[in-house]
Amino acid sequence: MNRRQFIRDVLLWSAGATLAVPRFTVLAETLAEDAPQPLLGVAKGGDYGALVTRVLQPLGGMGRFVRPGDRVVVKPNIGWDRNPEQGANTHPQVVQAVVRQALEAGAKKVLVFDRTCNEQRRCYANSGIERAVRDLNDSRAVIEHIDQRKFVPVDIARGKALTRWEIYKDALDCDCYINLPVAKHHGLSRLTLGLKNTMGVIGGNRGSLHHDLGQSLADLATVVRPRLTLIDATRILLDNGPQGGNLADVRRMDTLIAAIDPVAADAYATTLFDLQPEAIASTVAAHALGLGEMALDRITVMEA
Amino acid sequence: MRRPALLPAPSTWRALGQTLFLLLFLTLFVTTDYAGVDELNWAVNLLFRIDPFLAAAAMLAARAVIALMLPALLTLGLTLLFGRFFCGWVCPMGSLIDASRRLVGRATTTLPQPGRRHLKYLLLLFLLTAACLGLPLAGYLDPFSLLVRGLTFSVQPALDHAATILFTWTYQQAPDWVNAVTEPAYALLKRSILPFSAKIYNLSVLSLFLLLAVLGLSRLEPRFFCRKVCPLGALLALTARFSLFRLRGGSAECGRCTQCRLVCPMAAIGESREIATAECTLCLDCVSHCPRSRIGYGLKRVAAANGQAATNGQTANLSRRAILASLAAGALAPLALPSRPLARHGDPQLIRPPGALAEPDFLDLCLRCGECMKVCIGNALHATWLEAGLEGVFTPRLIGRLGYCEYNCTLCGQVCPSGAIRKLGRIDKQAVIIGRAHFDKNRCLPYASGTPCIVCEEHCPTPDKAIKFREIETENSKGERVLVRQPYVVDDLCIGCGICENKCPLDGAAAILVTSAGESRHRHLFRQDGY
Repeated sequence: MNRRQFIRDVLLWSAGATLAVPRFTVLAETLAEDAPQPLLGVAKGGDYGALVTRVLQPLGGMGRFVRPGDRVVVKPNIGWDRNPEQGANTHPQVVQAVVRQALEAGAKKVLVFDRTCNEQRRCYANSGIERAVRDLNDSRAVIEHIDQRKFVPVDIARGKALTRWEIYKDALDCDCYINLPVAKHHGLSRLTLGLKNTMGVIGGNRGSLHHDLGQSLADLATVVRPRLTLIDATRILLDNGPQGGNLADVRRMDTLIAAIDPVAADAYATTLFDLQPEAIASTVAAHALGLGEMALDRITVMEA
Repeated sequence: MRRPALLPAPSTWRALGQTLFLLLFLTLFVTTDYAGVDELNWAVNLLFRIDPFLAAAAMLAARAVIALMLPALLTLGLTLLFGRFFCGWVCPMGSLIDASRRLVGRATTTLPQPGRRHLKYLLLLFLLTAACLGLPLAGYLDPFSLLVRGLTFSVQPALDHAATILFTWTYQQAPDWVNAVTEPAYALLKRSILPFSAKIYNLSVLSLFLLLAVLGLSRLEPRFFCRKVCPLGALLALTARFSLFRLRGGSAECGRCTQCRLVCPMAAIGESREIATAECTLCLDCVSHCPRSRIGYGLKRVAAANGQAATNGQTANLSRRAILASLAAGALAPLALPSRPLARHGDPQLIRPPGALAEPDFLDLCLRCGECMKVCIGNALHATWLEAGLEGVFTPRLIGRLGYCEYNCTLCGQVCPSGAIRKLGRIDKQAVIIGRAHFDKNRCLPYASGTPCIVCEEHCPTPDKAIKFREIETENSKGERVLVRQPYVVDDLCIGCGICENKCPLDGAAAILVTSAGESRHRHLFRQDGY
């Protein structure tokens, strides 16, 4: 065995080893300070199908995120056994429009799922999201219940509060992860927006994240990286969140917010509640980790 | 009446019938689950509603006609016409006993012993008398209750566990081509016989043991349980004595042939080959085995006075003393109940499902059938051990740490076959208070260490949350001054669903606990104890 052969062998074998153990790390350098100002699409209107198209236009349309043959994950909030009017879950028509556009952009498969808080089947049924995806009548669009076997332990190298956690495999190894949260009130974190929606792709005892929620969510955001964040603010829950149930707490806004920068999306969505981005701990922590922009004057808002 | 050689033997028809009814039962069992809509169309409660023994016990206990259980009259009526076919053809427990005979029983059959089959009649008398006077025990020995409990608490979860182990292994270790087969198979199993999610049950091993014991008793004698124990069988037997149609056996002329007596699993055929209608379950084994085809099914012969006498001799050999003893035991046993602490102060851990009647009425009507626990979508309802007294074993109670009552779900009331849990609409159910939560501030993190948490508040389902919080400046366990949100319960809003206790992220016991305090089924204005 000569040296060249030895090196080749070592590389070959070690590559095999690293492939066998799931390991996902993200480099901070990809989010360099000198990145251009983050762009944010905002659109208002009552036709949610058209609204999704409009809000994505400033960002270049769905085709910019989903390439033909991509395996896409669309992650709405389906956390609660509530109906669409109650504003606790992402609106089914918004989910349907996003999945449809991903299919039209040539996705090989679009997977929709959430790890719910209430019983899974009730949440999927009463949120209207299961129906909405099935109504697309496309075998590439799949809505599935959480499969416990798919949670893999992941090292969170840049994490401060979380250094290792179980994360749903599909959220990590898909080609395009679209985060599709609903904007609403939350007792502990004041609001739940894009970063908090990641709670739906993690396993384990999620409640323990509450002990340092803002930092934990920012830590998770270093490994769960949506290519697109689209915040559903068609109805926003102003009180008794995140589960609501009282229509008096719901305000109809008919608004969607889309951004590549997950922190910018959250920062802007905060203003819909008459709050400043600094009020949300996860936004501040994610910004501090260099995951995105939170200063409103440094975000370019394109109303579409 | 020789049968043509090509037709299946009569007992084959019976086995076919048993298989069909068993499959029907298992189908109903599996469909006793949430199916994507709030209303359940079919459930295994059908079986319990045609059970005349449970109906009689529940109605005697409640001293009322329970409309839900009136279909049991149908079983009685048909038995009056056709005899005890229910035990031989329909009863899923009987079918399982037959099916497991090869596994359990002795290979050789001996001639029937002069058995103690009157035990089941005495049991029936005791159980009905006790039920009538306030000690409801009927569900302990009812065959369907035993069966559904065993299947729900133990067999189905065990199957699920086995499947999970197998298919997790294939999913994680096997190559793709294996998974191309195993994954669709797993999905199919999940859609059909496995529960939607892994479930756990209190008293699961005990329930399995009881079910296996019923099957295993056949090792002593074929269908031991049906012959000697089953109180439902006893009630049907008493009815079948008067049945219009019945099997007619051979006679002394049969000589030394004892084929029918040897094959009869119920030992219903006497020495002179007469068939005791009360014991005969119409399995037709004797018909198939009789070398001379002498045994036939037909109208009761009015004039057969000697046959009638023989039949009576076989069933009604209960001594007056034994009958009086059963009645007395049933009547006296309930008198011991008021001396227990339970009579004055119920166990605060005993949280009954929403819609449950007040405790004495609930115990009277509850059939211990386990259906509410089978259907409970949150895996919140579990079999009670002794928390509700000796007569309360296997009744449902909510254990918050193991599961919680799903706010919009009304399934337990829908499947309850006797109305022990009332069937409530969603709005009515949400107004029922099954208990109330309280904090253990020594463990609750925002109190104990100044650590943020309020997961309980997040999950509290009432539209105006029953768990609220105050923002307090305090010193945390690191000695820092922090603002922390400390949760508290608003009693008037709390319904006791237990989701807070269930989701509390602490290890071990939760820091928020639900007890039956304030439950709306007991709104005593005047209590006998206390100040």
